[in-house]
Amino acid sequence: MNLTRRSVALMVSAAALFRGQLSWPAESGKISAPAPAGPALLPKDIVWETANDEPPIGSDKAMRGGTLNLSISSYPLTFRLYGPNNNDSFATWNRAFTIGFSLVQMHPVNDKFLPMLATQWAVEKDQKTLYFKLDPDARWSDGKPITAGDYVFAWKMLQSKFIVDPFANTYMKEYFASVDKIDDYTLRIVGTRPSWRPLYDYNFSPMPAHAIVLDENWVTRTNNQFPVAVGPYVISGVVRGESVTFKRLPNWWGDKKRYFIGLYNFDEIHLRVIPTDRELDYLRQGELDMMAEPSVKNWHEVYTFPAVTNGWIRRARVFVDTPTGVNGFQMNLEAPVFQNKDFRTAMQYLVNFDRLNKNLWYGEYFRVNSFFEGTIFANPDVKARPFDPAKAREYLERAGYRRPDSVRNQGVWAQLRNVAYGLLFTRSDTDDILVNDKGEKASFTLMYLYKALENEMTVIQQDFRRAGVDMRLQLLEPGAAFQRMLERKFEMGFVNMTSGYYPDPRQYLHTDFKNSKNNNDFWGFGTKEVDDLIGVYEKDLDPKARMDAMHRIDQIIHDEAFTIPFRTAPFIRLVYWDYVQFPDFYLPLRTQQYMDYMVYWIDPAKKAALEEAMKTGKTYPVDTNMDQDYYGVRKKFQ
Amino acid sequence: MTWIKLDPITRRRFARFRQIRRGYYSFLILTAAILLSVFAPFLAESRALLVVYQGRVFLPTFQYLTMAIFHQTPPPGWSSADLDTDYNRLQHEWRVERFFYERERAEAGSDPAKLSALETKYPDRRSYVIMPLIPWDPYQSDFWYNEILNDIQGLLTAGNREGAERLARQDDLEDLANAIQTGTIDTILKDPKRSPSGDLAGLARSGTMSSLKGLAQVPPTGPDLRRGHYFGTDSQGRDVASRLLYGFRISIFFALFLTISGQVIGTIIGSLQGYLGGGFDLASQRVIEVLISIPFLYVVIILAALIVPNFWTLLLIMAVFQWIAITFYMRTEMYREKTKEYCLAAKSYGASHMRIIFRHLLPNCLTPLVTFTPFAIVASIFALTGLDYLGYGLPAPTPSWGEMIDQALRPENRDKLWLTLAPFGAITITLVLVVFIGESVREAFDPKRYAKYE
Repeated sequence: MNLTRRSVALMVSAAALFRGQLSWPAESGKISAPAPAGPALLPKDIVWETANDEPPIGSDKAMRGGTLNLSISSYPLTFRLYGPNNNDSFATWNRAFTIGFSLVQMHPVNDKFLPMLATQWAVEKDQKTLYFKLDPDARWSDGKPITAGDYVFAWKMLQSKFIVDPFANTYMKEYFASVDKIDDYTLRIVGTRPSWRPLYDYNFSPMPAHAIVLDENWVTRTNNQFPVAVGPYVISGVVRGESVTFKRLPNWWGDKKRYFIGLYNFDEIHLRVIPTDRELDYLRQGELDMMAEPSVKNWHEVYTFPAVTNGWIRRARVFVDTPTGVNGFQMNLEAPVFQNKDFRTAMQYLVNFDRLNKNLWYGEYFRVNSFFEGTIFANPDVKARPFDPAKAREYLERAGYRRPDSVRNQGVWAQLRNVAYGLLFTRSDTDDILVNDKGEKASFTLMYLYKALENEMTVIQQDFRRAGVDMRLQLLEPGAAFQRMLERKFEMGFVNMTSGYYPDPRQYLHTDFKNSKNNNDFWGFGTKEVDDLIGVYEKDLDPKARMDAMHRIDQIIHDEAFTIPFRTAPFIRLVYWDYVQFPDFYLPLRTQQYMDYMVYWIDPAKKAALEEAMKTGKTYPVDTNMDQDYYGVRKKFQ
Repeated sequence: MTWIKLDPITRRRFARFRQIRRGYYSFLILTAAILLSVFAPFLAESRALLVVYQGRVFLPTFQYLTMAIFHQTPPPGWSSADLDTDYNRLQHEWRVERFFYERERAEAGSDPAKLSALETKYPDRRSYVIMPLIPWDPYQSDFWYNEILNDIQGLLTAGNREGAERLARQDDLEDLANAIQTGTIDTILKDPKRSPSGDLAGLARSGTMSSLKGLAQVPPTGPDLRRGHYFGTDSQGRDVASRLLYGFRISIFFALFLTISGQVIGTIIGSLQGYLGGGFDLASQRVIEVLISIPFLYVVIILAALIVPNFWTLLLIMAVFQWIAITFYMRTEMYREKTKEYCLAAKSYGASHMRIIFRHLLPNCLTPLVTFTPFAIVASIFALTGLDYLGYGLPAPTPSWGEMIDQALRPENRDKLWLTLAPFGAITITLVLVVFIGESVREAFDPKRYAKYE
């Protein structure tokens, strides 16, 4: 299911990639009957693969049962997973519990492909034709078997204009040439191009063909329909605007499967709509069982109430390893001030990450080093430039910037003017900004998207100012700001992008995008060398060549110095009542949100004991070390 | 007031205003505060008012004087020719020199060789710095609370006892400095009751050394007289009192400019509408109706997305909407006044329209203008504070009350009382003063008191 989510991320990037260049093909109204297919499609000489000996994802200690109470930030606009409004916060839950199950999944610790809805798979030599043997045990939540026909239907459905989902439409057309039924439990998928990661690119989720009537009313009709599920849960009830309840299927088909052991342990999951800043209040009242704490400040400041000091509520900072994505300060190479590489390098040396980390973030965050941070392609030799004003000064001088003479030798009139100016305005506008030979000031505007970033940005601004660089701040509404980034109408911008398991450098760095606007190449960067390296990464079948190409790209980006990598938080801060139990490893390594893999459970005996303890006022021992780093993620950053 | 001649009634109204003490004193206080705020750089600034260094006198308030001039050691990584002097630190450094000089002179007794060696060892002991009342500018982040113990710890670990003592002494950590000097610090740190973690941070947290209270702590930090943060610091470690003062300066001048420009434009347009009437009145009323139906806060937010607003552009944007309210009152006043005999008399003498409006009619229509202006000021302050609160007003890091209120209301700052009290207190006091003035003016200009109905 995680894989599916990644392919959604991929889908978004693919859509961004082709935005503006695609014309939507006119479609005929009805979906045609499945193309003639049969055993003839299956070649004789293919080798079936599977993975039955990998370690299970969950823990065998897990106990089944109980109700888990969690929160969502807003009530879902729809229960569909395609079509309008399908990507709100609820969709993540919906995918994780009901419908986000695909042919194969990636092991969240060792990254090997595991059976999910398919038991075996085979890849032809052309690297784009795949065969899958489907699991005959797999059932829809209404009891019907999941067959090859459901995949063919899904392929057609996602291309249909009836689902009003351009992203899905484009993605399907760009990635899948055909999806064919060989027999009820054998499937062939042909991708549009050869890939060295065919199982990742051409993975696929079925749709229940028997339960869906696709016509022009599909979107409105299914808005509030509970979907027929593949997963262990179905939506069992809602209170409009307040809550959604998932109920576990009795005898779910996956219970017997190795890679579902210890997952999905709750009989019922109850999601309540609670504003994010009120979550803790509800947890304290016992109305939620667990939550993730997003704020570092809260993590260190507000957990001093009795339930925590008595050990009834527990906390864990669980380290995980997931892609960071493009993150930090982006410089627009088309802006005059940033055309000088020495100037850009000087900017890199002026970000005092350690000072911020120590004084604003309790030392919790880590510096991003690589453009591909958190993926297997990050170049271990690339390190972000540390804070070093002497180096910055050196580079600034090389770029031709120096203190204006007027700062030092001032006559009486200039002094008086200073006084008048200082009385009328605040002094930060007046003096000591570096100028170059042409008299241009070392001055630019930093655009940022969220008011919460003001803390960091103003401190950085002061460091820049002391070095004689005037960084003005501009807060913009996120939508407008991001549009400006895409159109390269900015000087410096602060953004965070998400990344898939396999990074996609093309959309950021290729010359095609340098020459056009409205794409993810914020910087306007592109060189022949990087184009070639991207080509190697995308097409070369030799893993070493791909790795070397990506390392080289990473190095080039570091040298060109147009992006200042900033911070990453490779952990999830969990707050939960004592009876919520976790395996030794807490969460699998590749967890992005805690519902990705439901490895935790509720211990009824502990729950009863806790209720007793709260009545009598008995306290539990408190573990002061909250950091859980089972996989040694932290080592990577030291 | 020579051009517009005040009639006796108006003069009596001003006298009456002076008699209403609440309003009159509010007026005096507010005027004094505004005048003081003009001189804010002398009240709250991290640059010293006066430095006497080796016989030379410096007035650094509006000057860029590098650390090299005072031979101050720059922070690690920086060069001293490159940085504005840190006068707070300079003051402490020189005071410590005096302290060490006194101590060593007492030890030296009357040995003239030692005494002259001391003279050269402590050359800066006669230099001094006079800081403003609030020794912080509104932009500077002060992370001293979190960093100082690390610095001292570093020197201790490196075996530099004298440096560690100097640093502790410099920042008024007297009992720590004494402990380092006498060497008892080692036994204190080894005592798990006093320092569970065995270092200075642990000692600060256990609270057993009084001068270390509140250290090893990230901002916001509470009020601290010792370090000159009278109202504490905000989330970025900036001085709240300083930001409050500069925020007042910006808010009040913004409000004054905005109100004056708005009232002047509004009065002119309203008067013309009322006096000319007819087609002009009809047409301009429609324009006003269009303007009034535009939600002005949204317009400002949209415009803020197109340009980085500064004081003057924001003023300009808001002034476009500010003049409307007063036009209605001026228009009706004019309609009423222009039918009166004195107006007809002026007309029959051949006075020009402009002269009639501004010389004869306007002085008789002043009541609504004077009455509404104080409340317009209140509205302007509110508008700017609201915009800043939302983040679409003056760009960060401009000191502003709205931004301070935003910080105070964040969940993690709920228990930081100083962050809440300072901006809310300031805004309440200012608005109360303005409202008092407004009420008194309204009372003084109350037509029922003086008007004669025939």
